[in-house]
Amino acid sequence: MITRWAVRRVLLWLDGRVRIASVTRKTLAKVFPDHWTFMLGEIALYSFVSLVATGVFLTLFFEPSPAETVYTGAYGPMRGVRASAAYASAVTLSWDVRAGLLMRQTHHWSALVFLSAIVAHLSRIFLTGAFRKPREINWVIGLTMFLLGIATGFAGYSVPDDLLSGTGLRIAAATLLSVPVVGPWAAFLLFGGGFPGTSIIPRLYILHVLLLPGAIAALIGAHLAILIRQKHTHFPGPGRTQDNVVGSKMWPTYGFRSLALMCAVFAVTFGLGGLVQINPVWVWGPFRPSGATSPAQPDWFLAWVEGALRLYPPYEFRIFGYLVPAPFVPGVVMPALTFLVLYLWPWLDRRLTRGRGRHQVLDRPRDSPARVAAWAWGASFYGLLLLASSDDVVARYFQIPVFGIVRTMRIVVLVVPVAIGAVAYVLARALREDPEATLLDLRWRRIAAVIRRRPPDVEGGERRAAGAERPAASGEEGAGA
Amino acid sequence: MPTQRQIIAPLLTVPLLAAPLLSFAAPAAGPRPAAVSAPAPSPSPMVRGRQLYGISCASCHGQRGEGSQYGPSLKGVGAASADFWLSTGRMPLPNPRALPRHGPPAFGRRDIDALVSYVASFGPGPAIPAVGKGNVQQGLTIYLRDCAACHSSTGEGGALPAGRYAPSLTGTAPVQIAEAVRLGPGAMPKFGRGTLSDGALNSVIAYIRTLPRTSGAGGWPLGGVGPVTEGVVAWVLGLGVLLLVIRALGKRAR
Repeated sequence: MITRWAVRRVLLWLDGRVRIASVTRKTLAKVFPDHWTFMLGEIALYSFVSLVATGVFLTLFFEPSPAETVYTGAYGPMRGVRASAAYASAVTLSWDVRAGLLMRQTHHWSALVFLSAIVAHLSRIFLTGAFRKPREINWVIGLTMFLLGIATGFAGYSVPDDLLSGTGLRIAAATLLSVPVVGPWAAFLLFGGGFPGTSIIPRLYILHVLLLPGAIAALIGAHLAILIRQKHTHFPGPGRTQDNVVGSKMWPTYGFRSLALMCAVFAVTFGLGGLVQINPVWVWGPFRPSGATSPAQPDWFLAWVEGALRLYPPYEFRIFGYLVPAPFVPGVVMPALTFLVLYLWPWLDRRLTRGRGRHQVLDRPRDSPARVAAWAWGASFYGLLLLASSDDVVARYFQIPVFGIVRTMRIVVLVVPVAIGAVAYVLARALREDPEATLLDLRWRRIAAVIRRRPPDVEGGERRAAGAERPAASGEEGAGA
Repeated sequence: MPTQRQIIAPLLTVPLLAAPLLSFAAPAAGPRPAAVSAPAPSPSPMVRGRQLYGISCASCHGQRGEGSQYGPSLKGVGAASADFWLSTGRMPLPNPRALPRHGPPAFGRRDIDALVSYVASFGPGPAIPAVGKGNVQQGLTIYLRDCAACHSSTGEGGALPAGRYAPSLTGTAPVQIAEAVRLGPGAMPKFGRGTLSDGALNSVIAYIRTLPRTSGAGGWPLGGVGPVTEGVVAWVLGLGVLLLVIRALGKRAR
């Protein structure tokens, strides 16, 4: 009784000053689509919350300094050994600080889950055409967060100054050096001199704890604000049009579902953090430029670049008399092209599908076989690069000569994704003709029909006929049919 | 009223008591095959060693260790070498072209000792090193500088070119590590006393012996191979579980 009265008084007091009633009513009435794939982005959001919470704890104990110090904690083999303050404090966090190892491991697992959830979310947006007008801005913001997330992850992987991450930093430095003309200058600026120098750890640290996560937080705000302004998309279905959103309201339904997901994300990240070891810095040992440990890989979100670096032949050439060293193409050009194509995709897609109108109703993946093919190519190409980055681990576990894997993978990464893309195209085409069918319902007869029937004009009429049965995917295409 | 356990317990002890009797009875039952560990009667280790050498080694290394087109000479390799190759199961090879692989030894301890003293008699060579106490902290520094690049910081080993690999050190006996360091078998470089003193070697071994106790802190170590298996776990156990969660949450709302 008294609580209720007190809450009411506080809310009225607030409403009298900042007028919260109307905003709250709108927020509580916001409609979220019910399809489960709309929660992929929320996994990323809540992993980010988990990252910030555990990260703040870590900053209380971590010393981002290259100054040499003597470790004197509970980890016996390191006691009395000289190492950088950064490394010594990372070992202290793992062995001496109460719950420190849980927090470190949870932080790292959250980072891996954060970025994998972003990839899953991005795949859903890509396959359903949710990036189309009017949502190009949010596509660009989302990609930028992905990029910043990778950068933050790499900075975080590097700051403990352990032997594994030092190797990664060396590779990053070499890749930067390989940029023609400006590379050496850029590397000199970043490291404040030669590798490794004394500046890089404090610099990576401030990027890792302030600038990059600050930028991500700001972009999350923009991402959500634009989402609320533009409202959600939804899948085609009865009663779903270009002008409405069908789903559950924030109160009393969706809010609790989202809360449940938040609890699940924390359960998973803290569960992994408590039960599964990640990045045992005390085992890797302190970084010395003369040392190394193997196998040495970056975290998965950068391993695709590592895979390309491992596969690219040691081939150098000259442009206008300037040397282009071997790491430049796989280490700089390939990732830059990847993100360039992703950033431009909404406009490329517009060209390909000629869908220029506003889209509130999503495509199903099968509605655009070309998009499915492009996604399947990308998923297999970058997935195979991840495999290539693990070549020495694969060689060890399966007892295959490691150079044999490299030579095979050089061909496989070029050929297999194209084949997978083609298969995905045919399957999506076969599915498109029957909106009710799933992949398991597909029979060879239908697939064969798709292969035999030559695109594009023969089945153009048929596509329209099929399209007329279901709600049109877009205003303009609907008018055409 | 006796409980169930009280009834079963005496029944269980019967086979337990009988077991030693049965194992005593086994040697009496019939002669064992010669290759399996020797019963006492063989006259001296030297004779036994020559006998085993003739069966398992001579076809490649020659009747008196002089070597052949299939295997190198064993003259002057010493006891350390023979002990390392035999006790880590790398010798004898299944065929002359096979790459030696770490595994369970083909002979029992007493037969290995016999073979070792027989091979050592071919000519003077390094004796089996003695491993003493070492300084773990010094060992950490040396291990990370000289060993981790191939054997990994975790001691789990790693791949090398041409189908070779640096083996895991976690199950390797201290003496075998010392022998490997001094001999440089296979692709491994040889560290002489000038490069690595006996004290330093003891320290490295002392550090390696701490790894099984410390490398599991924090939970399941995922094979000790770093980000590769961590990435798999993040996708399968991390995102995978969360996908099941949102699938359930979304389905419920339909």
